[in-house]
Amino acid sequence: MRFGRISKAVGIAAAAVLALSACATQGGSTSPSSSGSAAKQGGSATVVEVNAFNTFNSNTADGNTDINSKISYATHWGFYYVDNSLKIVHNEKFGHYEKTSDNPLTVKYTLNDGVKWSDGTPVTAYDIALNWAASSSYFDDASPDGKKGTAYFSTAGDPTGLNNTNFPDVSSDGKTFTLTYTKPFADWETAIGGNNGTIDVPAHVVAKKAGLADAKALFDLMKGMKKGDPSNQQPANETLKKAADFYNTGFDTKTLPSDTSLFLSNGPYVVKDMVADQSMTLVRNKDFNWGPTANLDQITIRYIGSAPAQIQALKNGEADIIAPQASSDTIQQLKAIPGVTVNQGHQLSYDHLDLNFYGPLADKDVRTAFMLTVPRQDIVDKIIKQMDPNAKPLDSQIFVPDQAPYADSVKNNGSADYQQVNIDKAKQLLAGKTPTIRIMYNKDNPNRVDAYTLIAANAAKAGFKIVDGGLGKSDWGKALGKGGYDASIFGWINPGVGVSGVPQIFKTGNGSNFNKFSDPAADALMSQLVQTTDQSKQVDLEKQIDQKIWGASYGVPLFQAVGVEAFSDRVTGVKYMPNSSGVWWNYWEWAAKS
Amino acid sequence: MSQQSQQQDVTAAPTASGAATAAPAAGIEPVLETKGLSLGQIVRKRFFGHSGALIGLVVFAMIFLLAFSSEGWGPFPGWWKYQHDQVTPLVNEGVPTWTLAPFSFGDHPFGQDRIGRDLFAMTMRGAQQSIVVMLIIGIVAGVIGVVVGSLAGYFRGWVETVLMRLTDIIIIIPVLLLAAVMSQTAGRRDSGTWFAQFAASNGVVVLGIFLGLVLWVSLARLVRGEFLSLREREFVDAARISGASNFRIIFKHILPNAIGVVIVNGTLIMSSAILLETALSYLGVGVKAPDTSLGLLISQNQEAFATRPWLFWWPGLFIVLICLSINFIGDGLRDAFDPRQKKFNAKKAKSRGAHGSAVAAGASPAAEPSLEVGTTVSSVTSEVPDTEAFGGAPERAEDGKGGTA
Amino acid sequence: MVTYVVRRLITAALILLGASFLVYNLTALSGDPLEEFRASNQPNAAQLMQARSQLLDLATPAPIRYFKWLGGAAGCFAGHCDLGKNLAGQPVTQALGQALVQTLTLVTGATILAILVGVALGIITALRQYSALDYGVTFLAFLFFSLPIFWVAVLLKEYGAIGFNNFLAHPDIPIATALGVGIVVGIIAGVVSAGSVRRRLIIGAIVFAFVTLVLEVASITQWFRFPGLGLGVILIAGVGIAFGVTVLTAGLQNRRALYAALTTVVIGVAAYFPMQPLLNLATPLMIVILAVVTVAVGIAVGYFWGGYDRSQGMRAGGITAFIVGALIMLDRFMQSWPAYFDNGLVRGRPIATIGAGTPNLQADFWSSGIDTFTHLILPTVALVLISLASYTRYTRSSMLEVMNMDYIRTARAKGVSERSVVMRHAFRNALIPISTVVALDIGQLIGGAVITETVFSVHGMGFMFLDGISHVDPNPVMGVFLCVAITALFFNLVADLIYSALDPRVRVK
Repeated sequence: MRFGRISKAVGIAAAAVLALSACATQGGSTSPSSSGSAAKQGGSATVVEVNAFNTFNSNTADGNTDINSKISYATHWGFYYVDNSLKIVHNEKFGHYEKTSDNPLTVKYTLNDGVKWSDGTPVTAYDIALNWAASSSYFDDASPDGKKGTAYFSTAGDPTGLNNTNFPDVSSDGKTFTLTYTKPFADWETAIGGNNGTIDVPAHVVAKKAGLADAKALFDLMKGMKKGDPSNQQPANETLKKAADFYNTGFDTKTLPSDTSLFLSNGPYVVKDMVADQSMTLVRNKDFNWGPTANLDQITIRYIGSAPAQIQALKNGEADIIAPQASSDTIQQLKAIPGVTVNQGHQLSYDHLDLNFYGPLADKDVRTAFMLTVPRQDIVDKIIKQMDPNAKPLDSQIFVPDQAPYADSVKNNGSADYQQVNIDKAKQLLAGKTPTIRIMYNKDNPNRVDAYTLIAANAAKAGFKIVDGGLGKSDWGKALGKGGYDASIFGWINPGVGVSGVPQIFKTGNGSNFNKFSDPAADALMSQLVQTTDQSKQVDLEKQIDQKIWGASYGVPLFQAVGVEAFSDRVTGVKYMPNSSGVWWNYWEWAAKS
Repeated sequence: MSQQSQQQDVTAAPTASGAATAAPAAGIEPVLETKGLSLGQIVRKRFFGHSGALIGLVVFAMIFLLAFSSEGWGPFPGWWKYQHDQVTPLVNEGVPTWTLAPFSFGDHPFGQDRIGRDLFAMTMRGAQQSIVVMLIIGIVAGVIGVVVGSLAGYFRGWVETVLMRLTDIIIIIPVLLLAAVMSQTAGRRDSGTWFAQFAASNGVVVLGIFLGLVLWVSLARLVRGEFLSLREREFVDAARISGASNFRIIFKHILPNAIGVVIVNGTLIMSSAILLETALSYLGVGVKAPDTSLGLLISQNQEAFATRPWLFWWPGLFIVLICLSINFIGDGLRDAFDPRQKKFNAKKAKSRGAHGSAVAAGASPAAEPSLEVGTTVSSVTSEVPDTEAFGGAPERAEDGKGGTA
Repeated sequence: MVTYVVRRLITAALILLGASFLVYNLTALSGDPLEEFRASNQPNAAQLMQARSQLLDLATPAPIRYFKWLGGAAGCFAGHCDLGKNLAGQPVTQALGQALVQTLTLVTGATILAILVGVALGIITALRQYSALDYGVTFLAFLFFSLPIFWVAVLLKEYGAIGFNNFLAHPDIPIATALGVGIVVGIIAGVVSAGSVRRRLIIGAIVFAFVTLVLEVASITQWFRFPGLGLGVILIAGVGIAFGVTVLTAGLQNRRALYAALTTVVIGVAAYFPMQPLLNLATPLMIVILAVVTVAVGIAVGYFWGGYDRSQGMRAGGITAFIVGALIMLDRFMQSWPAYFDNGLVRGRPIATIGAGTPNLQADFWSSGIDTFTHLILPTVALVLISLASYTRYTRSSMLEVMNMDYIRTARAKGVSERSVVMRHAFRNALIPISTVVALDIGQLIGGAVITETVFSVHGMGFMFLDGISHVDPNPVMGVFLCVAITALFFNLVADLIYSALDPRVRVK
C-alpha cells in the first residue's frame, strides 16, 4: 500500500517537472538582463502631460485636446510652425507656400519631393485637400440646429475663413495645391494646419477606409460635389460620409492599433508603444529628412494629473520634463529641487474685469470711477508676484506682452490713466452717488476669489456698494451675458497668432461680447481687420481698436496667467513657450546630456 | 421577509437592548455595577469611565468653545481681532508670528495666506463651519433615519416595503456621487427664488441639510432592526392593550429603548460627515470661497505643503483633532450603551472559571441577523464611514481642450 | 434557498432600476455640460456648443434620455452592451474595461493586506483590552482614518520614495541612526509587550540590540543594494516559522506536527540549490504550479508523520511549506534586485511615485515582478493605513463579544488550553461577522479609491467617475455606477449566504 502511494507521488512529481519545464520562459537560461533601451546614441527623455492621449486625429471637435495636438505635432510636419516668440517659421525643406494674388486672395502651396508618410506613400496635395475639406466644412449643408442636412467632417477650428473659398486646384503631379478665397481672410497663413502647422491626416488611409482606391480618388469624389448650402439641402453623399465618419472617429484609440495605417507619421517621430491612460512612447522616424533631425532617440510621455505628483515624479527621476499648473508654491518647490531648471513665462490667458454697459454702470463716469478703484498693482503683487517677480498689470485689451506690438500699443491706448488707484477722482466722478454693484466671478478659482476680495475692498472706499455675486464653477459660465450682475471677473485666451478672436469679443452683438460693449467706430475697424491680409496693417488696426476699447471705459485687464516648465539636468534644449504647444514646440532640439 | 423574521425570532433568543432590564437576572458582576441605577445613569457611569471618550469630549468642547468664541457666531462678536475675510497687510511674508521663546502670539499666530487674511481667523471660521455642517448632518440624518426606520419597523407591511426599498435604492448609490450632486445642487445660486436667496446667505446650512438627506439610510436600517425585535416585546403589548396610540407606542415606549443605537450611530455619522465635507471641498463642491471650511482650507493649500506648511498644518490639525475626538466619543458611547461590552481580561477570565460575566442570553452576534440577514450587513457597514469619503478630484488643468491643430 | 436567491435577485434588479434612474438624472442635472465653452472666445464657440449639445443629446429631457440609455444597457442581456460613449468618443464599455484593470491592480493587494493586518491587530487588541497596545492601536487607527489621504500620499512619496531612493544611492547607516532606530523600536516593543516591568525591560533591550545589530550588518554588507536571504537565514527563519505555525495550528505538545513542520523546512532548504536554475526561467504559471506542489509536499509530509491527529500535522506542514517556499521566492527576487536597480530605465531610483509600471521595461519575470512591487508599494501602504481602522475595530469588538460568551467559559472550565480557546473557539466565531464586512468591502472594491488613484496617477474607476461628473457626462458615470452597484448587490447577497452558512442560527428562506 505504502509503496504504491509513494510511486504515485513520484509519478505526480515527474509529471509536475515536465509541466514546469513546458511553461518555462523560452530562450535559454539568460540571467536577468541589465540593459535597458536607454543609453544609446541619442538617449531618451520622459515628458509629463496632464491629460491622457485618446486619438490620432486631433483636428476633430472631440479629439482636439492639448495632448492629442502635441502628439500630432511631434509625429507630423507641415509648411510652418509657431516659435516661442509667437512668430510663424517656414519649413522650406517640407514645402513652400506663397500668396500669389491679393484680389482675389490666392495662396499656392508646393510640396517638396521625398516628403513621405511612414508607410512610404508620398505626402501629396491631396492630403492638403483633405485637411482643407475637413477644416472648411465646405460640403456641410446641415441646418443650424443640426436636425436636417449633413455635417461631414467634424472640426475644432473655426471654419468661416476657409469656407469662403473655391474648390482648390491640385496640379497633375499632386505636388501643388492652390486655394482661391472668395472673401479676403486675415488669418490665411495659418488656415491650413492651425497652430501646429502640420499636415497630419493621410488622405490615402481615409480613402481606403471609405472604399476608395487612393487619395486622388477621394479628391476626385469631392471635386464632383457642390458646396453645401444649408438653405438647399442635398441627400448625403454616402462615400464621402463614410470617409468623414472614419475621419471623425476611426483614429480614436487608447492602445496601439494593430493597423499601422492609423498612426502614420510624416514628422520627426513615430509612435512605438502606448499603454492606455499611463504612457506613450515615441521613437525617431528614420526616414525623416525634410526638417531638423531630432536629437533624442526616444521620448516617453506619461500622464500625471496633479501638480504635486508631477513635481515629485521629477524629483524622483521618473520624469525629465514637466509643465505643471503654476502656483507660487509649485514654483518654489521646483526651484528647491537640485539639478532642475525652471523656465517661467506668461501664458496666453489673462484675467480681466468687465463692466456691463447697462444697469448701474451704464453711465460712463460710473464705469470710469469703478476702473479707478481697481487695485491692479496690488492684485498683481499679491497673486502673481510670488510666481513671477517681474509681473506687471496687463495694460492692453488686445495684445499680450509676448507679442511685439504690445509695448507700442500700451503707450497710446489710454491705460496710463489707470496705473494707480485714484479714490479721490473716483469719488469726484461719482458725485455722491453710491451705486450698488454686483460682481460675478468663479468661486472655484482661487485667483478670481482673491481678485474679487481685493477689488471689493477698494471699490467700497470710493462709495460703491459691492455685492458678492460669485457663482460655482458650473454656474458662472451660464450666467455670462445673461445679466443679473454688473461687473464680471473672468479670463480670455489670446490665440497668439491670428486676429479672428478680436471681433468675437468686442464687436456689437457678437457671441462673446457679454457686457454689451458697442462702439460704431470700433465695429468698423474690426470689420476691416478681419479682411486685412497684410500683417503690419492688421497690427495697426488692432492698436486703434485697443485705444477705442479703453476710451469707452470697457473695464480693465488684470494680469496674465503664469506658466512654468521644469526639466532635469539629464536633458537640454527645453525652452519656454506661451501657447498651447507648451514645451513641445521645439522638441527636436531636446537632447540628452551625457 | 416578515414571515421569515418572525420565524427566526423564535429560533433566536430575544435581543437585549435595554441593559437594565436584562442584566439583573443573569450574573454577578453586572448587578454590582448597575444595581439601582437607571439606564441613563449606567450609561453616564460607563461613559465617564472610558478615558478615551472623556479626553475626546474635553478636546471637542475646547475646540468648540475656541472656534465659536474667537470668531463669534451670528450676531455675537468674537474676541479675535480679525475676521476670516478681512484682508490685512502681509507681515513677514505671512509666516506665523507665534514664538515660544520669548512666548508671544504676535499679530498672526497661525500666519497669513497669500493676500493677507489671518489664518487663525480662517481656521476658527472653518472649524465653526465644519462643526455646524457636522451637527446639521447629524440632526437631519438622525431625524429622517429614526422616523423612516421606526415607521418601517413598527408598521411592517407595505409601509415597510416602500420605505426600505427606497433606502436600498439610496444605499447602493455611492455616497460620494450622491453627496457631490447634492452639494452641487445646494451650491446653486443662479435662480432667483427664495431658496436661492436663503442659500446665498446660509450656504453651510443648506449644504448640511442636503448632505443629511443622503446619510440617513444606515441609521434607518438599524432603527428598523431594533423596532422589529422591540415591537414583539411584552411591554409593547401591554401599552397597546392599555389603549396607547401607535404614535405614543413608537415614540414613548419603543424609541427610548432603541436610543443607544441611535446615539451611537448618530455620532459615527457625524464623524464621517466631517470627512465627507473635507472630501467634497477637495472636489470643489463643498463650502464655497470666500467663506471657508477646514476641508476647503487644506484643499486650497495642499500645494503649499512644502513651501508654506502652516497654511496646511493648522486646518489639518483641527480636522484630525475634531475627527479623532468624535470617534473616541462614539467609541465610548458604544461601549457605554452596549451591555455586552465590558472590561474583559483574558487572565482574569481564566481564573474566574465558572463565575464569568453575565450576558443576556440572546446577545449573540446573531441577534440582529436573526431578524433579517440584510440588517446585520448594514449595521456592520454603517459604523465606520466609507473610505470613499476620502475621495477627491484631481486638480486638473482647466483647459484640457486647447489649441487647434 | 433557491427561492430566496431568486427573490433577492428580482428585488436587486428593481433596486438597480430605481437607483440608476436617480443617478442618471442627478448627474445630468448636476451641472452645466457646456461650461467650458461659455466663456470661450474661440470664434466658433457657438458651433462647438452645438456639437456638444448634439453629442450629449441635450435637447431631450434627462428622464427620457435615461430610457434611451436604458435601451442600450438592456442589450447587455442580449450580449451586445451599449452603454454609450464618453465625451472623447470612446465607448464606455471599453473605457470601463481599462479602468477596471487599473483599479483592481491598485486595490486588490491593499485590500487583502488591510484585511490580514486589520484582523490580526483586532484580535490582539481584543485579547489585551485596555492595555497600552490596545490604546496605541486604537489611537493610530483613528488617526490614520482621520488623515486626508492625499496628504499621507505626499508624505509617503517624499520619504518612502524620494528619500529612500536617495538613501539607496549611498546605503550606509551611521551608527547613531542605527542606535536611534534601535532605541525607538526597543521602547515600542517594551511598551507593547505584556508582563512585569522587568520582563518588558528585557524584551525592550533584546529588541534594541537585535535591530541595531541587523541595521549595522546590513549597512556594512551593503545589503540594501545587494539584498538576499541566503541559505542560512532561510534555515533559521524556517525553523522559527515551523515552531510558530505549530504553536498556532496544533500546539507544541503535538510533537508529530512539529516534526512535520521541521521536516518541511529541511526539504525546502535542500531544494534551494536544485531549484535555482528552474527559477531562472520562471513564468507566472510556473510559480503557481510550484506553489501548489510546495503546499502538497508539506501536506504529504504531515500525512506521513501521522500521529493521533493527522490533520493537524498536515495543516502545519502545508502552511510551513508555503511560507518557506515564499521565502525562497523572496530570495530569488532579491537576487534580481541589483540588475533591476542598474537598469537604464530605472536609473538607480527603484521606488516609484506614479503609475503601475516603468514604461518600456522589458525584463524577465523577476525584474518585472520587482517593478510592479516598487510601483504598488506606496499606494498600497496609503490604502492599508486608511482602511485599517474599520477592520481593527470590527474584529476587536466582535472578538470581545465572543470572548464573553458562555461557551468560551465552558471551554475554559473544562481545561482547554488558552491557544485552543482563542484559535478554535473564539477566533472562528468572531470571524463570522467579519466575513460579512469583508464580502461587502470586496463588493465596494471596484468603486476604487478616488484620491489614491489621482495622487498616484492611476486612471481607474474613481477617476473615470469623477471625470464624468465634472464634465456632466452621464454615460461614464452610469457605467461606473452599474459596475459598482451590481458588485455591491451581488456581494450583499453573498455576504448573507455566507452568514447563513457559517451561523446555523440564521436561515435564509
